[in-house]
Amino acid sequence: MGSREILTLQFGHYSNYVGTHWWNVQEQGFEYDSSSSSEIDHDVLYREGLTEKNEVTFTPRLLFVDLKGSLKSLPESGNLYAPNFNDPSAEWDPDLVTVKTEPVNNKNQFQQDLDSSACKNIHRNAYDFEKDVSVWSDFLYTRFHPRSVNIIREYQHCNENTPFDVFPLGTSLWKSPQFDDDFCNKIRSYVEECDSFQASDLEIGFHMLTDCTNAFAGLSSSCVEHLKDDYDKSALLIFPVMPSYFPDRVTSVEERYQSLANDSVRVLNMALGFSAFSEHASLFVPLSVGSKGWRKPGPKRQFDLVEYDHELPYHSSALLASALETFSLKYRLKSSHFTLTDLCADLNRNGRRAAAASLKLPFSLNGSADLLDCLDKWQGPLTQSITPSCEIGSENLIQYITLRGIKEEQLKQPPHLAQKQLKLPAYKCDSIASMLNMYLAYSTDFSISNVTAVNKPLNVATPYPRIFQAAAGRQANVSTRAVPEFGQENVPVLAGLHNGPPIGDMLESLYTETKRIKFAKFPQFIAGGMESEEYEECLNTLSTLRENYVDDYVI
Amino acid sequence: MAISLLNPKAEVARAAQALAVNITAAKGLQDVMKSNLGPKGTVKMLVSGAGDIKITKDGNVLLHEMQIQHPTASLIARASTAQDDSTGDGTTSTVLVIGELLKQADIYISEGLHPRIITEGFDKAREKALEVLEKIKIPVEINKENLTDICKTSLRTKMFVLMLYWLLKKDDKPVDLYMIELMEMQHKTETDTKLIKGLVLDHGSRHPDMPKSLRNCYILTCNVSMEYEKSEVNSGFFYKTAEEREKMVSAEREFITQRVKKVIALKKSLCDGTDKTFVVINQKGIDPMSLDMLAKEGIIALRRAKRRNMERLALACGGIAVNSFDDLQESHLGQAGYVYEHVLGENKYTFVEDCKVPQSVTILMKGPNKHTLMQIKDAIRDGLRAINNVIEDKAVVPGAAAFEVTVNRELLAFKDTVKGKSRLGVAAYAEAMLIIPKTLAVNSGFDVQDTIVKLQEESRLNPEPVGLDLTSGEPINPKDAGIFRQLHSQEADHQLVLGDCQQFITRG
Ligand SMILES: Nc1ncnc2c1ncn2[C@@H]1O[C@H](COP(=O)(O)OP(=O)(O)OP(=O)(O)O)[C@@H](O)[C@H]1O
Ligand SMILES: [Mg+2]
Repeated sequence: MGSREILTLQFGHYSNYVGTHWWNVQEQGFEYDSSSSSEIDHDVLYREGLTEKNEVTFTPRLLFVDLKGSLKSLPESGNLYAPNFNDPSAEWDPDLVTVKTEPVNNKNQFQQDLDSSACKNIHRNAYDFEKDVSVWSDFLYTRFHPRSVNIIREYQHCNENTPFDVFPLGTSLWKSPQFDDDFCNKIRSYVEECDSFQASDLEIGFHMLTDCTNAFAGLSSSCVEHLKDDYDKSALLIFPVMPSYFPDRVTSVEERYQSLANDSVRVLNMALGFSAFSEHASLFVPLSVGSKGWRKPGPKRQFDLVEYDHELPYHSSALLASALETFSLKYRLKSSHFTLTDLCADLNRNGRRAAAASLKLPFSLNGSADLLDCLDKWQGPLTQSITPSCEIGSENLIQYITLRGIKEEQLKQPPHLAQKQLKLPAYKCDSIASMLNMYLAYSTDFSISNVTAVNKPLNVATPYPRIFQAAAGRQANVSTRAVPEFGQENVPVLAGLHNGPPIGDMLESLYTETKRIKFAKFPQFIAGGMESEEYEECLNTLSTLRENYVDDYVI
Repeated sequence: MAISLLNPKAEVARAAQALAVNITAAKGLQDVMKSNLGPKGTVKMLVSGAGDIKITKDGNVLLHEMQIQHPTASLIARASTAQDDSTGDGTTSTVLVIGELLKQADIYISEGLHPRIITEGFDKAREKALEVLEKIKIPVEINKENLTDICKTSLRTKMFVLMLYWLLKKDDKPVDLYMIELMEMQHKTETDTKLIKGLVLDHGSRHPDMPKSLRNCYILTCNVSMEYEKSEVNSGFFYKTAEEREKMVSAEREFITQRVKKVIALKKSLCDGTDKTFVVINQKGIDPMSLDMLAKEGIIALRRAKRRNMERLALACGGIAVNSFDDLQESHLGQAGYVYEHVLGENKYTFVEDCKVPQSVTILMKGPNKHTLMQIKDAIRDGLRAINNVIEDKAVVPGAAAFEVTVNRELLAFKDTVKGKSRLGVAAYAEAMLIIPKTLAVNSGFDVQDTIVKLQEESRLNPEPVGLDLTSGEPINPKDAGIFRQLHSQEADHQLVLGDCQQFITRG
């Protein structure tokens, strides 16, 4: 089997929220019991390492970037490799050193419990994450390699005086030694160590999660350009993520103007980011649980049996992470040598480098006894789009769908009990994947779908938010532990990546929003080092990209 | 705005209010930074809320590390660090001077002087200060003695000065700083930092059978892929069987094998039957099968080398970095006496040493923990930048506060020639300059007033610039003592500081 490692890059605070949930759910799902071997090839996203004390570590192959002050109680050095530091003032002559200690950021209960070996079962404790989480490290379960951590010192998290808010601030930051030198070198080191000796083909891919409403769009755009220059053969899949809520104040007239201006700035950052991504990435898939996305996130996407607060990034990012974790299984399974490159090449045909994603969480059998019955009674679309301003529909699509957590026993009734089912053509299908494939073939037009089925459900144990309605336990009808309350909690999930004309509509709406903005009214962009031609170019790139989605054949 | 046109007093009142807030902020920053000015200043250890440690004496690093909430304080920090990013020095002084200018302005504004008049005075004073700078600067011939002196005041740490001295000594031409690699190594017990006449790479070979060290090496530096790249993608819609796939792979792989064979052929012709050995350092990838072939020939092969190191390698060992293996020749190769691997935990390092006339070197920093390494690295980066600036400016400014003392003297004289109330701004500016010698005195344990009086008196009598000797507290000629500062940092000080100060004074 070829090695097909992926390096994940996360740019910005919301991306790190999504990333945190993603790494958390993966690690919650690790099977430490060697008797049952995992379907998932964890080496794709993780790496094995060695501490100074010769302890083996298994940490995400990851680089993340955030602003000063955003880590709160998480030390930059991590807690895996750092030697337990003794009082360093002891090493120094006290006359020569002044010690300045910032107020200690106390760890929340969850983090304390993770640290203490006495507390064996974090799943049994109740935590008030909804109140307690102010940054992503508050609910971080994963432990990072120290090299994963990249903190920008020039800008401070949540400081209005030194905002990191416009695209060019990010592009110029990329030129600083921290990125030009250190960060690029870290990418290179990760790539250098990738391969396994039995590999006959070697391939390194990149995942990028990036905030795109602020200057991180600029930083990641520059990074994308670098990746294109230095690793041109590698696949690069970008997920621009957008929060579903911005806490702008709008009580006074002045604040309302400010809020409108903020909206425009965000749209400009997104447009500039998207145009850079479309030029250098293999594929990019914008993600948000806000249905509109551009000027305002818009009403939140609804998921049956789920009740979530879209104002909490802790909630919304969990949904996005669940989708990522599910559709990425396609290129992370031990049983197949399908790679990220393969996926991107199929989805980005005809220069369609933007795609959409969808999620059905939980994938409930809706009270049916089996999948066949469930699909037979299914009403409406199978999944919910999580790409803003994009309704995926059922025509002219090319799509990769992954369904996890439905067991083969739940496929259909055995012949002696099947009765009416016997008459359905789908009764012939003898796997989850083929049945779902057949369903998609019937329910979509002019589309090609590839279905992957995975046994393992999504693990939604603490610290995953408790967003499932009580009914989910009964209706989803899959987990033996019905209501996610205690112990192991698993839900089946369906998620997909799609490309087709609706993505053109999405680009169209972003283009229109961007064009309406009077760029000259936002001197921060020029002051940050941009030229107004770049704005024009960005509009051109978007409209060229959009043209790739016009199906000009007549049926 | 309309109100202030009708009633100028209103603007004064508003400005005074805003200024009061700004001064508190500036003072807060000043208080933190004061104690680390000059060679007698203290080192600061910052412990973050999460327990991360940072040790530094550098104003720039300090400002970047601190969590600053106050808007004015963040702006001051921003202005000061911006200047440092280009010069690598002078942050602490900038913060102190900004704070002092605001304090001086406050005295006059609280007495009813219009803020705009103050800033007018500042403008005039700044022009004068820049004139003084032009007069006082000392042209430098670029040679190792002069540069070493400059590093001494800029870096203060003997070890680095010594190293840089070595660096420069090898060559009479200015050194291309780009060609110095900084390599850090975290090590429990070793803490020395040394100069490697060659290159240290932060990776090793990826094959268990490759030699761990070689002597008398030919070095092939290249940017040629030695890994199989899938040309056809494996579509999820048109599924291929594993066997079909293997067949396709082996056909395509043959192409890469031929490449590797070219390298092996050259190695055989040059090394077999001699005591010479062969090392390949590639910017592109080398896949396991290629590594295997090279290992069988006793070749050390490194993949994914840093782009910058390609050029550095050629300068350190000779030869050129090749982009193709077609007509590969001996003249393309570099040479090194000793190449060996060093393993530390999960990190591997490869030393390419004993190069005959290395034009590129590595500063290898060893320290027990991250914060010590960072501190060394910051200091070295600053030092290198300082040298660079001096080479560019071809001039320096006398240090030990001589420039500030001279500006103070000149401005006091100039003040009397200024008509109207804006001379008060000039006076304020003159006074503010003294914060530098004052702080240097405090940090060295001398009485502030005594020191200032002595310096001002000596400065009036002496046509040469007068600075402060930090061991005796007496005036000295910094030129004789070999204490210099970068022209860059001083100039920027006055350009930048002012723009920002005026904003703080006139607006909230
Ligand atoms: N040997 C010395 N004797 C007297 N004064 C000195 C000596 N060496 C340096 N100085 C003075 O110390 C001051 C520089 O101090 P320091 O390097 O701590 O601060 P800075 O350069 O303003 O800021 P940064 O923190 O960015 O380096 C200058 O005014 C310089 O002239
Ligand atoms: Mg200095």
